[in-house]
Amino acid sequence: MRTDLIIGMAGSGGDGIVSAGESLMMALAEEGYHAILSKSYGSQIRGGESSCRLRVSVDPVLSPGGTLDVAVALNWDDFLRFGSELPVDGRTIVIYDSNTGVQPNQLPLGEVTPAVAVPVPIQEMARSHAGTDKAKNTVVLGLLAGWFRLAREGVMTGIRRKFAKKGEQVLLGNERAFSAGLEFSSANPLPVDVVMSPPKSNGKPLVLDGNEMCAAAAIFAGCEFFGGYPITPSSEIMHFLAKELWKYGGIVLQAEDEIAGIGAVVGASFAGKKAMTATSGPGMSLKTEMLGLATMAELPLVCVNVQRGGPSTGIPTKSEQSDLYQAIFSAHGDAVRPVLAPTSVHDTFQITVEAFNIAEEYQTPVILLSDQEIAQRKETVPPIDTSNVPVVNRRLPTQEELENYVRFRITESGVSPISYPGMKGGNYLASGIEHNEKGAPTAKGDIHARMNEKRIRKLDPLKLRRDLFVIEGDPQATLALVSWGSVAGVATEALHRARKAGMRVKLLVPKLLYPVSEQVYYEFFRGVEAGLVVEQSHQGQLYRVLRMYVDVPRKMQSLARSGSNPILAEELVARLSQLALDLQRERTSEPEPQLG
Amino acid sequence: MSIVSEQEYQAKDYKSDLKPIWCPSCGDFGVVSAIYKALARIGRPPHEIAFVSGIGCSSRIPGYTTAYGFNSVHGRALPIAQGIKLANPELLVLVAGGDGDGFSIGGGHVPHAIRRNVDLTYILMDNQIYGLTKGQLSPTSPRGLKTASSHHGSLEEPVNPLLYVLSYGAGFVAQGTPADMPGLADIIEEGIRFPGFAFINVQSPCVTFGQDEHQLRVHKQKMKRLKDLSHDPTDRLKAMALAEEYGTELHTGVFYRDPAPRPTFESLVKERHERLLPEAGSRATILDIFRPR
Repeated sequence: MRTDLIIGMAGSGGDGIVSAGESLMMALAEEGYHAILSKSYGSQIRGGESSCRLRVSVDPVLSPGGTLDVAVALNWDDFLRFGSELPVDGRTIVIYDSNTGVQPNQLPLGEVTPAVAVPVPIQEMARSHAGTDKAKNTVVLGLLAGWFRLAREGVMTGIRRKFAKKGEQVLLGNERAFSAGLEFSSANPLPVDVVMSPPKSNGKPLVLDGNEMCAAAAIFAGCEFFGGYPITPSSEIMHFLAKELWKYGGIVLQAEDEIAGIGAVVGASFAGKKAMTATSGPGMSLKTEMLGLATMAELPLVCVNVQRGGPSTGIPTKSEQSDLYQAIFSAHGDAVRPVLAPTSVHDTFQITVEAFNIAEEYQTPVILLSDQEIAQRKETVPPIDTSNVPVVNRRLPTQEELENYVRFRITESGVSPISYPGMKGGNYLASGIEHNEKGAPTAKGDIHARMNEKRIRKLDPLKLRRDLFVIEGDPQATLALVSWGSVAGVATEALHRARKAGMRVKLLVPKLLYPVSEQVYYEFFRGVEAGLVVEQSHQGQLYRVLRMYVDVPRKMQSLARSGSNPILAEELVARLSQLALDLQRERTSEPEPQLG
Repeated sequence: MSIVSEQEYQAKDYKSDLKPIWCPSCGDFGVVSAIYKALARIGRPPHEIAFVSGIGCSSRIPGYTTAYGFNSVHGRALPIAQGIKLANPELLVLVAGGDGDGFSIGGGHVPHAIRRNVDLTYILMDNQIYGLTKGQLSPTSPRGLKTASSHHGSLEEPVNPLLYVLSYGAGFVAQGTPADMPGLADIIEEGIRFPGFAFINVQSPCVTFGQDEHQLRVHKQKMKRLKDLSHDPTDRLKAMALAEEYGTELHTGVFYRDPAPRPTFESLVKERHERLLPEAGSRATILDIFRPR
């Protein structure tokens, strides 16, 4: 019996392979399994190749995992286009459409010989049972449900639900296709045991992706205005809000461009509303000037960047973590703004609400760095108790403060009460030009210095927000991992495996990436001799930012890789044990201290 | 803008104590005075007015009023103003800026503000030159003009702001000049009262870098009141024909006023909210959408 199973499937766009993954995931979730479904596409608008990777487990799933246990190829060209995203090795069971004409001993997998290779007449079964190629994905569902004993009834119920609206013919066809898959699996048992253990819980989790979670969390946090422009892979945030936000009296504006999208958000925030925009790298480049304006005018807003491969247009459909420098440093002038990054779909709830709360509390734009992996993968998420999640609103001036109102008053905290149009006595000039405490434009150096100091000092309390950091593992460890964003899940899994293997190691996951909390890192790195900062960018951007602010132990190395080339837990464990070995060797070869 | 006046206001109530940075006898002094007058006639208290601008000499104008002002970044006043108006439709929202701000760097926002028909009054101070940066070509500079950035003369045809906004579908289009102060205050007032996007082009001379033929003394001789030409402001095609003469003639007054104004964006938002609000649950239970059935 298996407790953890990774299924990778690829086909052409019209094959419905992602939809099959979703159906299977829903059925498994209802039975109480934990799962992550990652999707990956070519960049074609329709058709082209598409794939999904479903990891299902009896325990919470931390990452999409590495080598596939089961690979499904509807055709080999499409499967192979995903390269290292769908890795196969000698343990993998490969199921593929026999219409590809490939013999099981001649799979186009280079040196790799999988454990089992099963050709199945998938297309032929779809045609003969449902009368259409469109049912190929339903045949696949039957095969998987049959061989691995995965939620047979749930999948069938899902099929009935999905096709009920499409007429009896389609419904019956798909039911027959599913049954054909089941029957094929029982007539052709696999030579290896791959049956899935029953789930441990029967709780009904939520099933959603990171973009949906971000949008829903924004509604929870009190967002009243969204302005944005379509861009992959963030558009689904706008889509969800375009459907739901209006119901709460909110407004969704699809602006004429990225600049106007955030411009309207700046305006709505000035008018007193909680406001958000969402985009990806190229849109962030365009929004940069407006973000600086929001910093200068001290206006709260949340700007979501769902990172994709860059620079420039880069790889719009694939994940990367290469916009950290941009998030932190792209403003001109001395502009500091908080940068937050969630680590999973689940975590996106808390971090999005936090982004709004920080924006409102400190009157600042907040950049929320999601990534395509989190944004477009579906996760099972245990029900979230929202009753204790605080929602923060900006500090408005009191009646007394309005009598002699000074918008940018230099207070002890650096935060000045903020009025909005319509509030009598609160009238002031907001501006991108440097201004004095009352808001009047100025070119005086001493005022500029004081206002800079105020705008930056007000964010200091963030550095003490230890709840925005996760620290796990052996506190006395000399080996450490640091990771952020979606890759933090991989690092967490690596930590668990390394500790199981007897290694003394610990992990730090910052959700607040900027301002850099020197104290948290200082404490974490105490006693650490070596380790890895793990992230998905070519340069290792977090590693370098930390080197800029923190005394990073000399043997902490950067493990960084360009987007869509997976970083795997097993690889991190191997690197850690090498580092441990090196440390041990150095200790034993150290010369005895000489006396005298 | 539907106006309910509860208290008497005077022009001085809208004047702030900031001292303008403009050159002595800049046309913009006249424009801001006309705005004070128009606002006093409208009678909304200053705290219910939001005044948004971009960057440029004329974009300093919100700070010289007692309204809530927003002196933002170059070319982006319109998106910010739309965000403000949509966030709070009860506000009176004014937008101001120069020809460079509106038709060069910010030119892409104008058609969209107009097609959305958010109820804003956009006052564009057109002086055919960049003043704040000390005398470069503007999008309304005539071909051949020699400036700091066009030493050998401009090779480009100027834009025609009036014709642009008419063809984008603006419901209210007017032109004025500080050479005719009462006329200028009148069209600003009328633009504010128009229910929908209103565009007012003000020929506001730059006394330092502007061309001789764009100074007030020339305006005084040259200007022709559309009223005196018995122009029918409900005739859009006629308005466009008159707008064609931008650059050669100086027509003042209302070129076009839509006799049957389109619904504003915010009125459509209100209708949608009334329809959808009953569907809303609590924000606290938004995640229930993702519970499996």
